[in-house]
Amino acid sequence: MRLHRLRVQSFAAIREMDIAFGPGLNVLYGPNDLGKSTLADAIRLALLLPCTFKGYEPYIPWSGAADPLVELTFETEAQRFWRVRKQFDKRGTALLQESRNGQDFDDVERGRSVDAKLREILRWGISEPGGSGAGRGLPESFLATALLSTQSNVSDILGGSLQDDSAATGKDQIAAALQAVAQDPLFVVLLREAQGRRDEAYTDRGAKKTARGSVFTIARDRVKETREEKERLEKIVEESEGVERHLRELVEERSRCQENHSAAAERLVAAELLEQQAANRAAATEHVRIAREAVLRIQKMDQDIAAAERRVKDLAGLKDQAERALKAAQAAGASAGESLTAADEAARSSGLDSEMADTVARQALELRKVAAEQSIQEAGQRIAAATTAQDRTAAVKRAEEEHRKQEAEASRARETWAEATGAEQAANGILQRCDLLERGLETRTADKQVVVAQADVEKEAALQTELTRVSEQRSALAEQRGVIDVPPAGSLVALRKLERELASARGALDVGLVMTVIPTAIVNLRVRKDGVAADPEIIAKPLEIEANTEVEVEFANLATVRVQGGRREAQEKVRALESRWDGEALPHLTAAGASDLEALEAKVAEARELDSRIQSLDGELESLRRQITTLAGAAEALRGASERAVACRLELGDETPETLAADLDALGSDPGSALRARRQKASRDVETARKAAQEAATIQTLAEERARGLRTSLEEAVAVRDAALAEFPLGAAAAMGAAEEALRAAQAEQKKIAVELASLQNRINEKKGKLEAELTDAREAVEKAGRAVEAAQESLKKAITDHATEEGRLSELKRLRDAEDLTTAESGLRQATERHDALPVTERLVSPDEVTAAKDALAREKGALEALDREVHTMQGALQQVGGAVARDHLHGAMEAFELAESLERETEAEYEAWRLLLDQMKEAEAAQESNLGQALAPAIADRFQALTLQRYQSIQLTPYLGTEGVVVAGAVRSPERISVGTREQLSTLYRLCLGEYLQTTIVLDDQLVQSDDSRMEWFRALLAEKARSFQIIVFTCRPGDYLAPGAMVAGEGVGYADSDEGFVRSIDLGRAAGVRNVEETS
Amino acid sequence: MLRLLHTADWHLGRRFPSFSEEAQKKLSRARMDVVGKILDLARRNRVHAILCAGDLFDDPTPTPDFWEGLAKAFHDHPTPEAPVFLVPGNHDPFLPDSVWSAAHPFRGRLPAWVHVVDRDDFIHEITPEAVLYARPCRSKAGECDLAMSLPVREPGDTRLRIGCVHGSTFDIAGYQTNFPIRKDAGTQRGLDYLAIGDTHSFRDVTASLPVPTVYPGAPEPLGFDETGAGKVAIVALFRHGSRPRVEEAPVAFWQWIDKRCRDMNELRALLTLQGLERQVVRLHLDMTVSLAEESELARILRELEGTSATHGRAGILVVDKAKLRVQVGSSDSFPDDLPPVLKDTVARLDRIVAEATDEVDKAKATRALTHLYKLLERQDELTGGPR
Repeated sequence: MRLHRLRVQSFAAIREMDIAFGPGLNVLYGPNDLGKSTLADAIRLALLLPCTFKGYEPYIPWSGAADPLVELTFETEAQRFWRVRKQFDKRGTALLQESRNGQDFDDVERGRSVDAKLREILRWGISEPGGSGAGRGLPESFLATALLSTQSNVSDILGGSLQDDSAATGKDQIAAALQAVAQDPLFVVLLREAQGRRDEAYTDRGAKKTARGSVFTIARDRVKETREEKERLEKIVEESEGVERHLRELVEERSRCQENHSAAAERLVAAELLEQQAANRAAATEHVRIAREAVLRIQKMDQDIAAAERRVKDLAGLKDQAERALKAAQAAGASAGESLTAADEAARSSGLDSEMADTVARQALELRKVAAEQSIQEAGQRIAAATTAQDRTAAVKRAEEEHRKQEAEASRARETWAEATGAEQAANGILQRCDLLERGLETRTADKQVVVAQADVEKEAALQTELTRVSEQRSALAEQRGVIDVPPAGSLVALRKLERELASARGALDVGLVMTVIPTAIVNLRVRKDGVAADPEIIAKPLEIEANTEVEVEFANLATVRVQGGRREAQEKVRALESRWDGEALPHLTAAGASDLEALEAKVAEARELDSRIQSLDGELESLRRQITTLAGAAEALRGASERAVACRLELGDETPETLAADLDALGSDPGSALRARRQKASRDVETARKAAQEAATIQTLAEERARGLRTSLEEAVAVRDAALAEFPLGAAAAMGAAEEALRAAQAEQKKIAVELASLQNRINEKKGKLEAELTDAREAVEKAGRAVEAAQESLKKAITDHATEEGRLSELKRLRDAEDLTTAESGLRQATERHDALPVTERLVSPDEVTAAKDALAREKGALEALDREVHTMQGALQQVGGAVARDHLHGAMEAFELAESLERETEAEYEAWRLLLDQMKEAEAAQESNLGQALAPAIADRFQALTLQRYQSIQLTPYLGTEGVVVAGAVRSPERISVGTREQLSTLYRLCLGEYLQTTIVLDDQLVQSDDSRMEWFRALLAEKARSFQIIVFTCRPGDYLAPGAMVAGEGVGYADSDEGFVRSIDLGRAAGVRNVEETS
Repeated sequence: MLRLLHTADWHLGRRFPSFSEEAQKKLSRARMDVVGKILDLARRNRVHAILCAGDLFDDPTPTPDFWEGLAKAFHDHPTPEAPVFLVPGNHDPFLPDSVWSAAHPFRGRLPAWVHVVDRDDFIHEITPEAVLYARPCRSKAGECDLAMSLPVREPGDTRLRIGCVHGSTFDIAGYQTNFPIRKDAGTQRGLDYLAIGDTHSFRDVTASLPVPTVYPGAPEPLGFDETGAGKVAIVALFRHGSRPRVEEAPVAFWQWIDKRCRDMNELRALLTLQGLERQVVRLHLDMTVSLAEESELARILRELEGTSATHGRAGILVVDKAKLRVQVGSSDSFPDDLPPVLKDTVARLDRIVAEATDEVDKAKATRALTHLYKLLERQDELTGGPR
């Protein structure tokens, strides 16, 4: 602060005085009672006392003619002038005005508000007037005491402190001043550096900067970018590995399926082998049985022959015995005949004639009888031979019948075999047809797959075209969108608000200006009105320039005058808002190429529309990509399907799907199942037919074998029969008939002879009475001999018959036996047995159903394997579309980049967190230093105090609130009361000077150093002269020589002041100034 | 005798996102420069053919910088006597829109002696006695063994037969979808030499078999774990049935090294190492330092890495500070004549370190002390003269 002018009227003893102050040291001098202290009080009242407060009463003019009036003009900062005018009274008035040039003032406050505003401007630690507990006298504060000291209380400053202030503004002002002055240069540089580093990353409010280009955004964008790349590649790798995994699983599944297929094939082979083994073993068993039967049959024949030979031998013995018995009987008969003859002779001798005749007749009859008996025997033999021949014939017939039967059975077996073979061929034909139809079905399926795959390929191509089109459309939109750089839509509200605030603030500046340039010579000037430059012009006459808010006139090579409308606060507010506008809105406008927010809003809307369209296209692209992904491998599928179709057609051979179409259509809606069912049925038919053929073959073999054996037997029987029939040229039946006729005739002759004999005998008995008794014995002997002969003949006949029969049978047996070869049969049996034994024993019996089931299982496994093969082919096609090791390779790099970016982000965060912490701690340390105002201020005072006292005093100790604890002397703190009055005044003055210097404000010293010796006054004079160059000092004194250099006082008439030391020292002779307008306007 | 130069895995266009942009440019540039070196080496060795077994670009559609650069390299380092065969790999598969497509301008810029393997039945008679069979990758992943798909040797064919494909031999565990190659594929197909690419380190995977199957590796390493990279293979074939001689030839500019420093002395010693300017150094700092040492450490790192005004001692420097710890607190590292306000600042930060229960807060306060220490070190610079 700097005082420019003080005007008082009717103020205590001063009627009127008008004083202009210089910028530096102002020494106002005059004799006692001139009113020096009154002027000092006038300054105090002007600044501190409300006009209606009773503190003015001591200053009511003694005459009481008018109310005391004070007007003080001061400047708080460059081009900010204030003028306060107070007329003290119970109804006093006050007016505060403000000016930019110190000439033209505008009213700012009136009445009670004036002091509130003044205290706000001064910031001396005085609260607003009228507060509770506030007095109505002159308010006090540490700074008021320090800066506007009174002569009577020079050392009050040493007893006061900021703690007693009613407001904190004084402390704050001193703290701010000390901060600016007391900061260590190094600390300032480091603080600035730390602040700069901190500001790179954080906003003023401590939030992380998120604008483009900020360190966190760069790091975060990098992390985002690398993460997106990593995630993109992870997705590709995941997809790739998914395909690989699926393919691996499929291959493993295929391997398992192949194993299952092999196992099923092995099971089928094993079942078929077991079935074949069982069939072979059954056939071998049958062969063994047949061979064994042949051997047994031959052995039985041998036994039968042996038995027959024994019987023939026995019968031959019996025949011989019978012949011998017959001969014996015949001999006995002959003997009896001879005895009878002798008897007869004897009888003849007694009755020779008749007896002779009777004997002759009887002999004739006996001869006839023997002949008849001979005929009977012969007929019996013939009958036996014929019977044998008939038996042979019957045996032949039976053999023929048996042979025919076996032949027929073999024939039937052949037919059955042929029939079964035919059925098998037919079933095989069906199976082959099934194969063909299956290939036809596969061809048809492959054709359909080709059609489907072709459609997929075409669809994929169409989708790719669409994808390209949409991608291009999206790229075009993205490009369109890329050139539009707009903020988020939400930020427009804040910008709108800012715009309104700025417009409002600018409106406050739009006060209207009229500036008149009155040239004293021809000047070349360039005018800029409201920021718009006009052409340079040369004027010689006054030029009036009118603008709304600002006029800037550049005088060529001389100066530039800028006049701005509105109050300083309003301008600052505009500047602040403009700064915010430049920082917050302008970059967006520039980036978007928009001239204003409307255009920006349009851009945002356009960007939003583009974003929406891009998002929509992204959705469309994603959908297309998904569709294309689902069609991935369509070309490969088409290629595969085409190859399969060609392969299928090749497998069809001469057939074509068209020629098979009818058959295929006949398979119905589920041709695969129908074909499978047909195939299964045909397979079963084949098996059934094959089994029937095998059985028929076995039966045929056996029947033929038997037929061969029977044919041999038949031929032998025929030979025996033919041999038997050889003696019957006319046939056995005829011979039998003839023999039976002969037998009957012989038997009739025998009966007739017997009758004749009986008659003869009766006659003989009748004729020869007596002789008969004699002859009876002879006859009985003869009869007995005859019966014996007959018996012998009968026995012989039976023996001969039996013998012949047995011999025939033996001959038949031998013939049959000769047809057989026991060695061969036994060899055949051994071979058959060996073959049978050589065959593996079937582990278990396998049913046809099991074989069929094994075939079905094999077909299922084959189908599954083929399906897997197709799927593997598909996945192999898909594998060619994925990233594989390439994607993994890229992912590795992307992960490294992502980890690095994350690490850098963490590092960036830690780095700037540390900078912020450092800055915070530096500021806290600084604040701690600053809050101890005494610590900051004491060295400055102490330095000067040491210099003043020639190091007698080492230091001064001030409290944090600038209360004076004492001075340090010989290391001990001494209370200020313990030092001399002069020294205490000097210390107080130094204290004030230090404060004035730090605050760059005016201090008023009302004869402060009256107790100082010359040397110290000399020291002070130099100090004041030095300090006068940096701040204003106003000294009221009656001894100007203490403060002014010789020759610096006012000299001459008319003028009440004199400037020296380049204008930094002004002496004001109050004696001359009293009642006189003694000073010119402040420059 | 037939001489071949076998190379692969150039990975032109590979990005190194964990490096700074300048380092990325250096590495990318080196990948392009090495092509010229390879072609010059081929000319010096008077090879009959140059086989490039895949992954020559890092992507099937590289930016024009790279394919134009490669085409220019061929024009700048011509080897018309030795045809060059470019085989698409799994990184740059032969796709319809890829750089290998016949319609791509890259193809139009290639000299006539540069052949792109763009057919599955690619055959080229290098000499009347030597024939090359090659097959391209057509996707980024696949199960097909491209080597086994090369034609077998016909009876009576006594020519030298060379195969060239891209893929991975079976010595890597797991399911193979990276174009697996049987180790004995060369033998199976009746080849005399099988040139393959994929692994970035030089390796003959069939040292015990009569037919060499060789990875020449990347001519410029792509990472710190590729110790055998930076080479090409020079192959001499004598006659069918005789095992060819395979020699490594270094071509790389950059050497990638991992360096671990456990104390300041080791770090200081790093400055004395020779040849750092051609090394990509990954420096692992595994130590605890005081504030003063941390400041020195930062200075050494600046010296190694370089600044906008100076070249670094190391070609490229990557610093791993995960195990770098700074002693907590000021530890009396600050000068005694600090202004009181700065002393107070240090004391406050020390108090935070002492009282913090959270290690993060301790670390933050310690880092703040580090900042302050470094600022004080720069006080002359900041204040415009000695204090």
